Amino acid sequence: MCTRIPVAILIALAAPALGIAAASSSTVTGISSLMNPAISVNALFLGETSLNDDSDEANRIGLQEAEMQFTSVVDPFWTADLVIAYHQEAGHDHGDEEAAEAGGAAAFVTDVEVARIRARSLPAGLGLVLGKDYLPFGKHAPLHTHQFAFTRAPLAVRTFLGDHGLTEVGARVEATVPLPWYSEVVAYAVNGDAEIFDAHDRDLAWGARWTQLWDVAPTATLELGGSLLNGPGAREPDGPAVGLSVSGLDLTYKWVDGGQAHGPAVVWTSELILPDTAAFGHEPWGWYSHLQARFRRNLWLGLGASGIADLPHEEAGPDEVDAGSYRWDEYRLDLTFVPSEYSSLRAEVSAIVPQSSEADDLRFSLQWNFTIGSHPAHLY
Amino acid sequence: MRIRTRIATVAVGLAVCLSCLVAPPCAAADGPLQVAATLSDLACVARAVGGADVEVTVLCPGGMDPHYLPAKPSLSRKLGQADALLFNGLELEIGWLPPLLEKARNPRVRDGAPGLIDCSAALDAVLDVPSGPVDRGMGDIHPQGNPHYTVDPRRMIDVTLFVGRRFGELDPPRAAAYRDRAEAYAALLRGRLPVWQERTAGLRTRHVLLNHQHWNYLCDWLGLDVIGEIEHRPGIAPSPRHVQDMVEKSRALGDVVIVAANWDHLDVVREIASRAGASLAILPGHSGAEAGTDDYVAFLDELTRRLAGAAAAPGKE
Repeated sequence: MCTRIPVAILIALAAPALGIAAASSSTVTGISSLMNPAISVNALFLGETSLNDDSDEANRIGLQEAEMQFTSVVDPFWTADLVIAYHQEAGHDHGDEEAAEAGGAAAFVTDVEVARIRARSLPAGLGLVLGKDYLPFGKHAPLHTHQFAFTRAPLAVRTFLGDHGLTEVGARVEATVPLPWYSEVVAYAVNGDAEIFDAHDRDLAWGARWTQLWDVAPTATLELGGSLLNGPGAREPDGPAVGLSVSGLDLTYKWVDGGQAHGPAVVWTSELILPDTAAFGHEPWGWYSHLQARFRRNLWLGLGASGIADLPHEEAGPDEVDAGSYRWDEYRLDLTFVPSEYSSLRAEVSAIVPQSSEADDLRFSLQWNFTIGSHPAHLY
Repeated sequence: MRIRTRIATVAVGLAVCLSCLVAPPCAAADGPLQVAATLSDLACVARAVGGADVEVTVLCPGGMDPHYLPAKPSLSRKLGQADALLFNGLELEIGWLPPLLEKARNPRVRDGAPGLIDCSAALDAVLDVPSGPVDRGMGDIHPQGNPHYTVDPRRMIDVTLFVGRRFGELDPPRAAAYRDRAEAYAALLRGRLPVWQERTAGLRTRHVLLNHQHWNYLCDWLGLDVIGEIEHRPGIAPSPRHVQDMVEKSRALGDVVIVAANWDHLDVVREIASRAGASLAILPGHSGAEAGTDDYVAFLDELTRRLAGAAAAPGKE
């Protein structure tokens, strides 16, 4: 279910706004620039080399993703966000498969990742989001690529939710639960276009997330989240319809030294992902745990591990842990230099370890990222 | 595995029912006005003006650099209960207040609502407004001008009177009480101005090197000679070349006092002070940043005491 936009349309969309923005509020055209949206561009580059894999895909340097974001108040009732991304297609949850096949792993697509309106003032503290947006499943899947703790999403997220999160068209309702601590529940119904669903099935997908957050210290929080996603599952042509359900549990601890700007900080996130489908015939599950620590003003150290287990595998080798299924683990270590909020440079070493006859994959990566323009502040 | 789905579905269903059945908290008509303030200095003003008619919550504790407050969702919960939000403005809170307001979903403090009170609107003049082109090569500069006006008590007198008027508009039955308390607090601050100025008189014959532009309004009020900033591009660590320049400049001028906030990176500040033989004044950045500075008057007392101490003891911290 790709939303592919020719580059010409992209430029045509951006040009009027950019053109007006270049002028002052009283332009020679007489058109005011005061109502222009906030515009920002983020670009992410990735260089990788593998010790065990000499394919082009594993040894390359190039653009990982570029995003253009527009944000503005629409009218007294809505605020709108539009994110147009240009990124590698392979492994993405929605894209042009022909382009991917023609160009292999390096094929890129232009994609409307986010096109949503958010209600500005509903009664009873409710929130409403309509349009295309990231599904609020867990902590990692809703992140934009430049927000990742490592160069790529964790193995478990890539396997069960896609390499680039899940973006879907639909409606989402948000409500704060009146408890003594911060508690929010989100429920949504979407079209079910993502790769993990059956594209031929016209049933809606739906899901929910419940988040609890406690201030365990003046500058430390503990967040516990539970997510649920239901939709039409993949099936054989003419086969019986099956449902796909994925549930998840996540725990995040954040601490920052409140006494010093850019001082020591720690973020520890762990997530458990539990797909639930009769089609698998197994009980697969996955997990990841990421620890990030700022130990100097501009330097972050990251340590991550992820694993998937009991995934059905028709060609299981003789030394499989469990015949008919397989298990992979992934480890990552990175050092990120963040000279300002608008750029970063990351060096990373990662290892994927299949517990089977397949060889390990050890990679070294260098990633750099910049943001220009008026980029909205990220959520906590 | 199906049991997991059922458990999750029931849990989410319960949460949805709970959130729909219980209305979000809002202010009682005759109860105290619920006020959230982004900065502790503004909270002091709110308490002084509101008295027993308000309950005040601070979002950024006095000891934290307000540029970098983590936008914790628990803060949006506080905002969700507020009838009024006092914020500094001039984009000081740009990195965390918009997402908090978004999450709070509180129409009483959304854009255009009378409860949203931008205290910078009380200022007659804003310092350091860029006169030429602005870009991020200049660091984290604030295009609307220097936002750190709360360390200038003259400007906080204007803020106090402004807050008194705005509280009165929000809560007309108690408007007279707000006005009276605002005028009383403004008079208190006016009365302390000569004391604080007299106390720091020795600093007027010295040169002042700032770590960050946090203290420009303070120096403007006290008439101090600012020779530069260690953080010559705001928010960006100084280069070794700039550090050397500051050392040489301080040595050449002599009689330099370096002023920094207690949340700054003090290693480089102390290095320059040591190499240049300069005095060093490390100050609480806002009220409440240190014990005994919870009140704004006590905060200014402590600021001026430390500045006076640095002026009287050349070459010491």
